[in-house]
Amino acid sequence: MLLRALLIAPALIAGALPANVQAAAAPPAFTARDKGHCTACHQVSDAAAPASRADLGPRLEGARMRELGRIRLRELIHDPTRANANTVMPPFGKHRILEPAEIDRIVEYLHALP
Amino acid sequence: MRFPERLAAFALAAGLALPALAAAPEDARNEMAAALKRQLPELAAQDYALGAAALDPAMRRAFEENAAAGEPVIAAGKALWTRKFKNGRTLAGCFPNGGRRVAAVYPQFDPRLKRVITLEMAINQCLKAHGEALYDHGDAATMGAVTAYLRSLSNGQKVTVRVPPAAEERFEQGRRLYYSRMGQRNFACASCHVQGAGKRYEDTPLSPAIGQATHWPVIRKGAPITLQERMRECLELMGAAPFPAGSDELNTLEYFLTYLSNGHTMQANAWRP
Repeated sequence: MLLRALLIAPALIAGALPANVQAAAAPPAFTARDKGHCTACHQVSDAAAPASRADLGPRLEGARMRELGRIRLRELIHDPTRANANTVMPPFGKHRILEPAEIDRIVEYLHALP
Repeated sequence: MRFPERLAAFALAAGLALPALAAAPEDARNEMAAALKRQLPELAAQDYALGAAALDPAMRRAFEENAAAGEPVIAAGKALWTRKFKNGRTLAGCFPNGGRRVAAVYPQFDPRLKRVITLEMAINQCLKAHGEALYDHGDAATMGAVTAYLRSLSNGQKVTVRVPPAAEERFEQGRRLYYSRMGQRNFACASCHVQGAGKRYEDTPLSPAIGQATHWPVIRKGAPITLQERMRECLELMGAAPFPAGSDELNTLEYFLTYLSNGHTMQANAWRP
């Protein structure tokens, strides 16, 4: 029993460390309530992102983000209603919720997601 | 800008699909019921009145465990309800049956004023008629408490709001407002409670539009929150300047929303985390 516990504990600690490191990668504008607050609607394929069961928007997966590419991602964050008039996603750039530099940082974060 | 003009401006900005224009109230309700059935096929319609608690077993357990959370508020409201005015009358004397089974038929349309009258407005009309100070719509200690008690007298009743032909324009204004995108975040009420009903925003399931009007005020941290106060919170989240409680905008919105809950059972003072 003790041996088992000793074997499991380091594994848990090892699992937690990368998560803490990755947490710094999510830009504040991605999570802040008065900014993007992206995790209110999306789950993220980043173990360090805040745990969430949010599903108003699709899960954000790195492969899909890279498939869309930086230019398209920037356009979608700026004004998603141009691609889909019925989307519930806010037009973060058009309505000046996010500054262009904040959108750029979010695009880089999304592009680098696992 | 007056109310109909403001509403027209919102309607122009609306991007969310608005069902057929100027639908008769019952058609609008049936259309909404069909949309929610498609969106939430597993959820029994009678559970809509539970709101978000219907969609989350843990929240439902907490909801049931805290069913008595409103009792102190209801007791405070009862004291206000039976308090004698300077002229010896009471709030209870202004309503039929001492207020029993009254809340289930509000809001009502007043054909003389051509306005929607909410239960809160009816309470203030009574206070005004007897020369008493009016209650602030957002004051938990007075308006919140007295509505908590008055609505509890309709618990178990079915919501039965009427929209006579003369009121259809007001109903339609409420319906259009419900589908109008507003504020910096460009949300409509329907974005979350029709299009997103059953999905989660942050960790909370989004309640369906039908059933939402059955359980107000809710009790949060021991205090009553009226439906219009909650609407104002939503508007702030949407990045919009909230309409004042008791404004024509929120009254028509409440009229539309409560009519949608016709046939659903009232259970005021629902606990909320």
